[in-house]
Order: sequence, then structure tokens, then C-alpha cells
Amino acid sequence: MTRTEIFDQVADIIADHFEVERDGINEQLNFKQDLDADSIDFVEFVLELEDTFGSEISDEDAEKLNTIGEVVDYIVAHQAEQK
Amino acid sequence: MKIAVDAMGGDYAPAEIIKGIEQARDAYPDIEFLVFGQEDQVKPLIQNDTRITLVPASEVITMEDEPVRAIRRKKQSSIVLAATAVKEGQADAFFSAGNSGAVLAAGLLIVGRIKGIDRPGLTTTLPVLRKPDQSSFVMLDVGANADTKPFNVVQYAVMGQYYAQSVMHVDHPRVGLLNNGTEADKGDKAHQAIYQALSGINDLNFIGNVESRELLNGAADVVVTDGFTGNATLKAIEGTALSMLKLIKGEIMSGGLGGKIGASMLKPVFKNVQQAMDYSQYGGAVLLGLKAPVVKTHGSSKAPTIKNTIGQIHELIQTESAAKLVSYFDQHTDEMAALKESLK
Repeated sequence: MTRTEIFDQVADIIADHFEVERDGINEQLNFKQDLDADSIDFVEFVLELEDTFGSEISDEDAEKLNTIGEVVDYIVAHQAEQK
Repeated sequence: MKIAVDAMGGDYAPAEIIKGIEQARDAYPDIEFLVFGQEDQVKPLIQNDTRITLVPASEVITMEDEPVRAIRRKKQSSIVLAATAVKEGQADAFFSAGNSGAVLAAGLLIVGRIKGIDRPGLTTTLPVLRKPDQSSFVMLDVGANADTKPFNVVQYAVMGQYYAQSVMHVDHPRVGLLNNGTEADKGDKAHQAIYQALSGINDLNFIGNVESRELLNGAADVVVTDGFTGNATLKAIEGTALSMLKLIKGEIMSGGLGGKIGASMLKPVFKNVQQAMDYSQYGGAVLLGLKAPVVKTHGSSKAPTIKNTIGQIHELIQTESAAKLVSYFDQHTDEMAALKESLK
């Protein structure tokens, strides 16, 4: 899957989960500051990512993810590791 | 209907869980059970496997496990597998007497929220004492969320109303906001804002603020509050009731022969008091706002409470309470969005 495809899928999940406009989602969007996400929102989101991309994101790694760009980078890197 | 049961959770699990399930199976001919647990422990306990299917679960989430971590790591545990069966449509409801945090996390993260509901609320039924036309009331949230936002409490009111209609069969339940006084301007800014928001919801029978001392007198059919206050209130009620019984018992024991004779004559009265205060007769606590009923009973529950709780779940499934909530929040998206914005 290309980086753009991954971003599109992540953005779809964000739009649905956080009820925000799909068009306004960009890589710089910050979960806490821009989406007002609390810890429960974030765990739900991480689980949805795991279901979608089929790989496990450890709690330690998840804590380091602050922006959508970082999430996409993480999935791209993890995808490469799996190959 | 099918109910997914965690056989491994609770102080007396799996023996009392299985005993309660068998009693419920005999009482409700339309229920089938999917029982999740360690095969070597659970299988020998099942006397008659009619409408009971044992699904092996190799792991157990203990009381010591950290809830969210356990849900994420112990994928083969009875709690995770039972909740997953509900998520995948193999069962209509999930029931457990195990680790409360893990059951709530499994409900929220595996079964999932109804679209439009921000946070589920843990809902409990409590007795109303000596009021001819009301025997119980429901209160939520009693502890699913430690940091509750005003908008969450507003949504609890709608959820509680549907619960009271479905399970308690009250047509127009009176909904009250737990506060430190009954007047509209009581409480902090958050409570005043919640009061205003609840007053503006058309199809809600909001009766205003209620005080904790009036709860057991039947001040409302549905009492809404934040998870922190709800949990503290619930424990204060439980603790006061137990302390009062201890006080009475102590006074009788130290009251000499007269006290003991008097007490023995009052034995049936004490029994009635105990029965009135026993809220396990109403079943377990329901995590409202999820796509399917998720119910947790007290860890110390024995077979009769398990059976009562299954009866309560039967009612929840039969009255399609979750589907009614889905349709309400589906039809009121604009109203909810406006309320959320106004309470920010």
C-alpha cells in the first residue's frame, strides 16, 4: 500500500470517528489539540487502526503518536518491517 | 436470543456462574447461552447442556489486570472472546461478573458505542423505599467515566429515559439531575449548564435537580450525574445501609435480654428491611450507549443474582433497547451537535 493510500484510509477513519470534515484533514492535525481527543478516544482510534491495517500497535508506540502524519509514518514503517 | 457469558469472572466463578446460567436457562426457554471459559474447569460443572454451548477460552483476565492492557493483550480470554462474539453478531448481549474495568473496556472498545453517543454510562437500579407507586429508580453514570463532560450527562438523560421505559416499564420516566439543591441555579457552572440543556430537550420529562438524600424516597425515576459523583453517591448509599444495620445489631446485642427478646419478635421485620434494600434483585449494572447490552454483576454474585441478571438482559434484548437508542440518536444528530457545541 502506498503512503497516499494509507493516509486516505487513516483520514477516513478520523472523519468517521471524530466526526470532522474529511476535506479538512491533513498530516499536521494533532489529536489532542485539534481533535480534542481524550485517552478513550485515542485507544478506540488505535484499535480501529489495528483492525484496518492488521498489525498491532504497542501502548508504548501509541503514546508517541501525536499527529496524523506520525500515524501514517508508523504504519508505512511497520508495513515495511512485515515484508 | 443468544447471550455471551464470561464464565471465569467473579469471586465464585465458574461454579456459581454456571449454576445461575442453568437456572436462567430453565426459566427462559427462548435464551441460548454461549459460555466462554477454561474447558477443563467449566465443562464438568455443566449438568445439562441444553441451549448451553461451551466455547473454550484459554486465558483469564484477573482482578489485578490493568483493564485496557488486558483487553489488548489477552485476546484468548473469556471476556475478550465473549465481547467479540457480540461484536461479530454471534450473540445479542455480553454478561460478566469479572474485573469491572476490563468488562467496561471490552464493552467500549470491542462491542463499541452507538454512533452519536460520546460516552457510555454505567447504569444501576436502586430501591425506592415505602412509596406505593414506585419500587426502584435508575442512576447513571455510576463510574464508567472519571472525567465526564456536561454533554455526556445530557446524553445519559436520554439513555436513562429509554432504559426506564424498556426495563422498568415506566411510560414517562421523571428524569432528575443530581445536584446540591433543587433550585435551578444550584450547583457549579457545569451543573447549571446541564440543567439548561436538559430543560430544552422536548421529549424528555426533566423534573429539575434532585438531592442525594431524596433518592431512596423516589425523587425521580432516572437520576443522571457524572461518573465520579455517581460512584461516590452509590458507595455512600451502600455504606450507610450497611453501617445502619451494624448499628442496630450492635445495640440489640448490648441491650440485654429485653433487647434480644424484642429483636427476635422483630425478626420478620428485619427480613423485610433486608429484602427491600437488596438491589441485586434488579440484576446487574448495564453499560448503556453500546451497540448491544453489556451487563456486569457484582463480583460476589451467586447463582440467584446471576439468574436475575439474565432476566434483566432478556428484557433488554426483547425490548430492543439498543436499537431504540440507535434510532433516537440517528434522528437527533443536529440537535445533539447543537447541544454539544453549546456545552463546550
